[in-house]
Amino acid sequence: MAEPSGKHELDRRELLTKLASAVFAGLVAPAVIGEGAAPARAATLPELPQLPPPRPDEDPVVRMMRDLQRALQKPVEQRRWIMVIDLRKCVGCHACTISCVVENKLPPGVVYRPVLEEEIGTYPHVTRRFIPRPCMQCDRPPCVPVCPVNATWKRPDGIVVIDYEQCIGCRYCITACPYGARTFDFGDRYTEGTPRAQAFLVGQEGAAVHETIPMFEYGRPHPRHDEASPVGNTRKCHFCLHRIERGLLPECVVTCIGRATYFGDANDPESLVSELIARPNVMRLKEELGTEPKVYYLL
Amino acid sequence: MVRRILYGLAILATLFGVWGIYDRIVSGHQSAAYGSYVVWGLWVALYLFFTGMAAGTFVFATLDYLFRVPIFARTGRLSLFLSLITLGAGLLHIWLDLGHPERVWKAYLQPNFNSVMDQIVWGYTIFGLIILIMLGMSFQPQRYAGWLKALSAIGLFLALFLSGGVGALLGVQAARPFWHVGLFPVQFPFFSLASGAALLLLVYGLFDRAANEHRRSLLRTLAILTLVLQLIKLYFLWADFSQSVYGGMPMNVAAVNEVLFGRYWWAFWILQLFLGSIVPIIILLWPRLATEPPWAALAGFLVLLGFAAARANIVFPALSVPELPQLIGAFHSSRLQFHYFPSLMEWAVSVGISGLAGLIFLVAYDRLPLTPEHVRSA
Repeated sequence: MAEPSGKHELDRRELLTKLASAVFAGLVAPAVIGEGAAPARAATLPELPQLPPPRPDEDPVVRMMRDLQRALQKPVEQRRWIMVIDLRKCVGCHACTISCVVENKLPPGVVYRPVLEEEIGTYPHVTRRFIPRPCMQCDRPPCVPVCPVNATWKRPDGIVVIDYEQCIGCRYCITACPYGARTFDFGDRYTEGTPRAQAFLVGQEGAAVHETIPMFEYGRPHPRHDEASPVGNTRKCHFCLHRIERGLLPECVVTCIGRATYFGDANDPESLVSELIARPNVMRLKEELGTEPKVYYLL
Repeated sequence: MVRRILYGLAILATLFGVWGIYDRIVSGHQSAAYGSYVVWGLWVALYLFFTGMAAGTFVFATLDYLFRVPIFARTGRLSLFLSLITLGAGLLHIWLDLGHPERVWKAYLQPNFNSVMDQIVWGYTIFGLIILIMLGMSFQPQRYAGWLKALSAIGLFLALFLSGGVGALLGVQAARPFWHVGLFPVQFPFFSLASGAALLLLVYGLFDRAANEHRRSLLRTLAILTLVLQLIKLYFLWADFSQSVYGGMPMNVAAVNEVLFGRYWWAFWILQLFLGSIVPIIILLWPRLATEPPWAALAGFLVLLGFAAARANIVFPALSVPELPQLIGAFHSSRLQFHYFPSLMEWAVSVGISGLAGLIFLVAYDRLPLTPEHVRSA
């Protein structure tokens, strides 16, 4: 009698695995089938999200989306994407870090936007400061000239990108970055060595689906298997380029619970980010190195 | 007896390395202990070490073929062979260190010549070819004397350029103040020469056992050169560290502290300074000891040991200092650590490559006329 029970369990496991796969496949299918790699040209813009008419009290996210759509109408070389992070509003919830991990299907040890925590003073006179640290998308990026095979470069809109198929994995760019913003994909998996389970989202059957479905960095699907890129490559934050080219804000911006992260086109004087960086309480990390970061912090 | 022990050690080391390389091929970098912060580990340190020796021994070959220094007459072939083996060991280390070794051709066919790394890839390739061609010609030195001289001149330039280039590879990085020292590219050729001299001391001390006046003179000359270069090396070390500490730049001071008083303080004080510098200096200062083959070999070995530790002490500490201090606790992962000690797989690969290089040398030394008779036994 044991056999039918085992068979039943197996069926259920298969069913759950297939169900999980189907759900995730449904989520990612549009990007896999054809909609994948839309170029950044204004002339070939995808259908952008519909926005409500402007209001004086509208959420900054809506305004930033409007700014984004306006920027996308311009040729790519006339855009200058920047990020502004208001440290007075950041509560250190790490939602941006985690949403980035989910959006880009980051494996263990790869992180694009950690939140640095700084304790100032001594007890009981202590304050804490939280500093989210995405890639600075430097105007003079030290990581670019050191690459021996031109696998990383600055786009016309200022975003520093990596060609995973070109990168040889020498990690020279990682040592050159003054912000520790590049990490190496060792091919590790979260589910490695974890127990098997019959649940939907835990255990290898469920959770591994998350690790095997493709991520869409740079606007094309990257299925994760064996030693194929981006395993063995350097990886970094790209301001969610695949999202902004579709009129969506970077994932860390929309998931920030305190509206502490802003994104937009610095070449547009009407944009929210242009207003913010004109304030006197703006600073950038390690300005003395002359890297001209495009991430600004409000103090 | 010594030869048999060396053969045994080399074979065992090679077998250990077979396991390591198998693991590296099957599991990629997953068994490695380096991560995204200390991103270069043992293999990069030993790449610097071996390629330094390659450049240094080549310079000694030019003392025969280009400068015609009498004491180095007909020693060029052995120097060239040592240069070839150590270059191979260094390049094998760095090739296995790549995330995608199968794409190494891109450095040749899709190069970025602005990258110091790419310049070095091309440089070492040309350097390796020159060594190979010269080695072939060295078996008929009379016939190819002109060619040997010309290639020596080109190779000498490359050896110095590449040694300095390795210094520049690290030195151009403003993000790492510990490396970003103008004198780095100047120091490295001295380090290469010193390690080349030490390797020759080791080899002539161990294998060239015939007690004749020429060999004693050779050992004495190598001993003096090694001694002088050791003192220069110590001066560079003092200049580097004292300037860093007096300057007080936090990232620099932290890196020096890591070397002197960090988790692996013994690698500096015991391996690099005491065993790698002071003991060999004492041996080499004593002319009678310095010209005794076993003592000369010991001094050479210790200097090389010190240089291997020094390479590690150049690479790891600079990477052990966070670019931003709060990175330490920002995101937890075994790949995001600021301390590093090589894994068993990394050791196995390095021991294996070293063993294989040793084995190739032993076989070649026994089978090929690498040292002419007048040096060996006249």
